[in-house]
Amino acid sequence: MSSHDLKPLPAETRSSLLSGHDWIALVFVAMTFLIPVFSTNPQVLSQTNLILIAATAALGVYIMQRLDLMSFAVPSFMAIGGYTVALISMKLHVTDVLILAAAAFLMPALCAIPLGSLILRLKGVYFVLVTFVLTEIVQLLLFEAGPITGGANGLVGMPAVKLFGFELWDNPHVLLTTCGLAVLSFAITSLFTRTFRHEFAAIETNDVLAESLGLAAWKYKAMAFSIAAGVSGLAGFALVNMLMTAHPSSFAPMSSVNYITYTIVGGKASILGTLIGALLLVSATDYFALSGEMSPGLFGLLIIIVTLVARGGVVGVVSGLLYRLVGKTTPLNTGETGHAAQEHANQKEGRP
Amino acid sequence: MDSFIATGLIGISLGSQYTLLALGFTLIFGILGVVNFAHGGFYVMGGYVAYYCNVILGLPYPVAVMLAMLSMAALGWLFESLILERVIEDHQATLMVTMGFYLVMATAILMIFGAESPQFPFPVTGVWRLGGIYFPYANMIVLGACLAAIVFVYWLVYRTNIGRGMRAMSEDLPVASALGMRTKALFPFAFALATGLAGGTGALVTPILALAPHVGDSVLAFSFLTVILGGLGSVTGATCAAFIVGLIEAYAAVYLGGSKGALTLFALVLIILVVRPQGLLGREVRRS
Repeated sequence: MSSHDLKPLPAETRSSLLSGHDWIALVFVAMTFLIPVFSTNPQVLSQTNLILIAATAALGVYIMQRLDLMSFAVPSFMAIGGYTVALISMKLHVTDVLILAAAAFLMPALCAIPLGSLILRLKGVYFVLVTFVLTEIVQLLLFEAGPITGGANGLVGMPAVKLFGFELWDNPHVLLTTCGLAVLSFAITSLFTRTFRHEFAAIETNDVLAESLGLAAWKYKAMAFSIAAGVSGLAGFALVNMLMTAHPSSFAPMSSVNYITYTIVGGKASILGTLIGALLLVSATDYFALSGEMSPGLFGLLIIIVTLVARGGVVGVVSGLLYRLVGKTTPLNTGETGHAAQEHANQKEGRP
Repeated sequence: MDSFIATGLIGISLGSQYTLLALGFTLIFGILGVVNFAHGGFYVMGGYVAYYCNVILGLPYPVAVMLAMLSMAALGWLFESLILERVIEDHQATLMVTMGFYLVMATAILMIFGAESPQFPFPVTGVWRLGGIYFPYANMIVLGACLAAIVFVYWLVYRTNIGRGMRAMSEDLPVASALGMRTKALFPFAFALATGLAGGTGALVTPILALAPHVGDSVLAFSFLTVILGGLGSVTGATCAAFIVGLIEAYAAVYLGGSKGALTLFALVLIILVVRPQGLLGREVRRS
């Protein structure tokens, strides 16, 4: 890249804690705290719950995409997080939401460390396939480990969680719990991916070259895998808290397809894409559900159309259009990665 | 001992079925670099086409199997030419469109045939018996048909110009294209061959196992297992791995029971992937 190709970066990408897309996503997620104030309609509350859980789970895919790795392991870590919470609240009678959230994040994150040391050596399609196999194994283990997981019956009758002794049991409070977990997940993801954006951009572009230049790629991959697992665990917590049940069917291997779809369709280059993808597709699923049996087919058709027509995802296409409208030549659909890479190149050439 | 041998025969029969599925899957990956998430869909739809032709229209079963194979090949050709070809350079996009197409196929089946499993019996019943060894005729016929199809695929891939072209593209696409290989014709052909095999397998196997709109999920998982074990893109690796998977599944089902067999298989594949990521006979992989 010559210095002539380098364009001045937006101010926020040079020095701020979070990028513009990060802030927009965080504000949007935080605004859902207001929904129970304006609506008590169970349909609205339930739909918002589903969108936030889907967006939180898709963050696991988004984080791994920063390293050019497509992960199908999200349902596995959601299951670990969800079942951990269910077991702690039912067997140990600990219902404090802060303790449960910490457990839901830490348990999958810790499990991901030894697992990551094994599977992160794999690249490309083998990583895709091994994470898919992992979800199958976890699913079978949930059925086989009956004494702990309840087997095919799952763990039914979770008590309501509490915050400072206040019970969060009804629909609005369940949504507030989900909102809190989603905000936490988006904040963790934004800070993490923003802090290590140069390293991730280098690994995404060419991990072998990055390693040869002294970057410990395995360390960043392991961190990313662990954080992605933790965030997925938080989504698992939100899911079992909403259903009051931890059941294997909630973490079906094929559900990973949904989380990948949210990320890709929304725009994998930006965290905002994850949120928009979840918002659009969960709403579409709900809308398509009116068509009964046709729902999955319409969903599939939508996936194909968006993939063919909007390759940068919704956010990429909209950003590109906005940039054209304001007459800029650099499309924004390169998202964070593009900015980070450009910033990296700027730094190498001694530019601010 | 008799039960051990009979189980082994069932395992070989299962292995031959998995081989047909895995060959298609591995051909698509080897030549196009595409992980085909719709593979299970072609299997199920092949089963339903055979059911429609055989049970509803009253056509002879072998004709129904051939029609299932040809119709799935035609569908695969169209899908590759009209949709997949547009995103063939972007592996994640290919993943997305094949996943989307699987959902469309599963829904189409559900809409046309309903959610309940139809009655689709294998036309030949009875059991071959030798001492204490029992082996159903249906499995024997399916085994023979699968072995014939495997021989045909090997002949096509290793003994014909089309096969040489496909292997050349699998080895090095840019060089093969520079030497005059026509990707516009060979890509759809390879895809159609793979989907035709999947459809044919569905037509042969679903009367013995099960025919339902969502059996494609487990078929996809086992296709994954087989090609991972054998090495993505390796035709011989996929064949060897399919028989290993078939035998392990059969023995585990009899001697371990429940889902422990599948769990053993998945764990074994995970270990092999970690120890030898390229599989038994695989080579350096494409990026996805």
